[in-house]
Amino acid sequence: MAGAGGGGCPAGGNDFQWCFSQVKGAIDEDVAEADIISTVEFNYSGDLLATGDKGGRVVIFQREQENKSRPHSRGEYNVYSTFQSHEPEFDYLKSLEIEEKINKIRWLPQQNAAHFLLSTNDKTIKLWKISERDKRAEGYNLKDEDGRLRDPFRVTALRVPILKPMDLMVEASPRRIFANAHTYHINSISVNSDHETYLSADDLRINLWHLEITDRSFNIVDIKPANMEELTEVITAAEFHPHQCNVLVYSSSKGTVRLCDMRSSALCDRHSKFFEEPEDPSSRSFFSEIISSISDVKFSHSGRYMMTRDYLSVKVWDLNMESRPVETHQVHEYLRSKLCSLYENDCIFDKFECCWNGSDSAIMTGSYNNFFRMFDRNARRDVTLEASRENSKPRASLKPRKVCTGGKRKKDEISVDSLDFNKKILHTAWHPLENIIAVAATNNLYIFQDKIN
Amino acid sequence: MECALDAQSLISISLRKIHSSRTQRGGIKLHKNLLVSYVLRNARQLYLSERYAELYRRQQQQQQQQQQPPHHQHQHLAYAAPGMPASAADFGPLQVGGGGDAEAREPAARHQLHQLHQLHQLHLQQQLHQHQHPAPRGCAAAAGASAGGAGALSELPGCAALQPPHGAPHRGQPLEPLQPGPAPLPLPLPPPAPAALCLRDPRASAACSAPSAPPGATPPAAAASPPASPAPASSPGFYRGAYPAPSDFGVHCSSQTTVLDLDTHVVTTVENGYLHQDCCASAHCPCCGQGAPGPGLASATGCKRKYYPGQEEEDEDEEDAGDLGAEPPGGAPFAPCKRARFEDFCPDSSPDASNISNLISIFGSGFSGLVSRQPDSSEQPPPLNGQLCAKQALASLGAWTRAIVAF
Repeated sequence: MAGAGGGGCPAGGNDFQWCFSQVKGAIDEDVAEADIISTVEFNYSGDLLATGDKGGRVVIFQREQENKSRPHSRGEYNVYSTFQSHEPEFDYLKSLEIEEKINKIRWLPQQNAAHFLLSTNDKTIKLWKISERDKRAEGYNLKDEDGRLRDPFRVTALRVPILKPMDLMVEASPRRIFANAHTYHINSISVNSDHETYLSADDLRINLWHLEITDRSFNIVDIKPANMEELTEVITAAEFHPHQCNVLVYSSSKGTVRLCDMRSSALCDRHSKFFEEPEDPSSRSFFSEIISSISDVKFSHSGRYMMTRDYLSVKVWDLNMESRPVETHQVHEYLRSKLCSLYENDCIFDKFECCWNGSDSAIMTGSYNNFFRMFDRNARRDVTLEASRENSKPRASLKPRKVCTGGKRKKDEISVDSLDFNKKILHTAWHPLENIIAVAATNNLYIFQDKIN
Repeated sequence: MECALDAQSLISISLRKIHSSRTQRGGIKLHKNLLVSYVLRNARQLYLSERYAELYRRQQQQQQQQQQPPHHQHQHLAYAAPGMPASAADFGPLQVGGGGDAEAREPAARHQLHQLHQLHQLHLQQQLHQHQHPAPRGCAAAAGASAGGAGALSELPGCAALQPPHGAPHRGQPLEPLQPGPAPLPLPLPPPAPAALCLRDPRASAACSAPSAPPGATPPAAAASPPASPAPASSPGFYRGAYPAPSDFGVHCSSQTTVLDLDTHVVTTVENGYLHQDCCASAHCPCCGQGAPGPGLASATGCKRKYYPGQEEEDEDEEDAGDLGAEPPGGAPFAPCKRARFEDFCPDSSPDASNISNLISIFGSGFSGLVSRQPDSSEQPPPLNGQLCAKQALASLGAWTRAIVAF
């Protein structure tokens, strides 16, 4: 298993350089809204990489087997399957259109030759089976030459079809559809470690499902107030603990995280643990509520820590300490003085995700101008990298970027005012075992790998 | 990319966002609208606190002019944000009206200040009451500080639960503090009472007021105020220091509500009764006699005050002599929000006019009074129009539709 991930580390330990590997997606300047990637997820082995987009499509990439003749280049990811997961729908009762945008994809652990994943839009979750077919049965005598079914009495011989090889075909079929359980917009799904159940969370409720049962789900968290006038916070993300199948966490728009234990009661309205960092009163502004809203929460692979992402920072929490995080990393603190403009152009509402590397030694999250940030927890180092077509020569090293916050702008630095806020990296994923990262930049998917010097 | 947004523009931007969220694909996003409502509340509180401060300052100026020795000025320095724009136009529509010279406005300002003073006395009364009977939850507004405030108008009550100064006598109702009652009150925590710090600490108020004189919004006053360079890079924004620490919050009787309209899925926050006070506080508003919600609002929900559009329309009618909408006055349950009726009503002659039409389409029939006034918009200065609408919109947010529990 690879060690810490980072960029440009000086002497000591592994020397890592992040290098460009691949980019998927159109080069067009004109980006169709439907092509904007809305979620990225590696499967448990890292061999499959799934992306969902605003058009409701899912594209799965598969890693090629390593080529013995080119040992330096690791396996590349190529398209494995593409299918339309969700279509736009219309809720006639409320006169609301339901977007087909894929909000989240979560893989199930592989149990047989087929692969299973859950994909969700605002209202409906679907379980997809992705299977390969490389054989075809031929030799049926049930049909005429023109394809019409023969009448049974005209079939006089018994013929057993023969399986013949064919070109590999990858089929995706919806095996379960979990619908009509959410009034509000689904923001998270999370597969439980028991591999039988999963949760889905919307703004006010969290439901527990069994993967086999589609007509029933259990509501385990409900924060909807009796009087909607009293609404003060919503659920923004939820996740099951990676090992303890009774533990889940959910984050709120107020910057708090609640850990719930499903053993304590059927309805987990009362939390077992409450994680909140007291607000610094000197930094209060109009937008304090907005920037403290947590956009993503992720358990570490070990299950000991969890990470939360709010607008300006990433925080690592020890599950045993509720009073404050053990680490706080500023992602783009230089934006704090720009909150007014970011409010006007709606960027302040962007929901950035975050992810751990396989060994929990590094975390990654996105920013603007196609920048993304990596924090090495052990070495206490961070780096800003950019996903851009300019730097897309094969195996080209990524140069660390720097944002100049004031004063003289050094060479190669970018000033805050020239950041492109339309180029935002909201979704990133880290291979569970190796130092391979997938970064979604609007409609392009960048894949970077490390290169040991 | 620095922008200098004052509270007013922030309010109108927020309202615009709420409105446009109705037409966005995928329905109304609860989370985003909730966050916008927080900004709305923050901006409005600061805006109102600024107004109070300026009114008080002008009151002092009058007194100084009347009494030669400027002794009192010092005493009220705390309330006069030095960087406050001098022009009354900065205060928006509920002030004495656009243009005009300061002298002509003074009597009106004095009148307003007097009313505000009365309001504040009421507020203090209620806070006192509140201290004895603390509400289970409350929207705090520096209750503790107000008791020790150097002057009567020390804090702007962040969440007002005030009877209007004129409302009680005219309606024959006893002036009584609003009981918090058993009904749980919403509490977006922590609710800032920006005026508290702003008014108490001249330095803080300078910090908060300097950026609040944006280059574009207050042309005549901008020269007088410090250059509208934003707060130093270390400060988080423009209104640093304008918000007291959470420890400043006392318990206060709250009538703040966050309302979700499940028809439109818009979540907004408003402080019941509060903005309507401003409406009354303005000498320009002939509806003062009617005052804020009266008998019709002693609903079954106890202390929960709701605005009913009938009430609003009554008031608007006083102002514009427009035609009253269909709703009966006061106490009538709100009819389901009628949408898109007035969307094309007023031509987009100015951003504020479009603001009005937008708001009208949100709030439906509750604005029929305003709508009838549209063609006569020339009678009043446009900023007055749009922002008056904004103010009334905010005042009525708690009432324009009942938050229906879906299931």
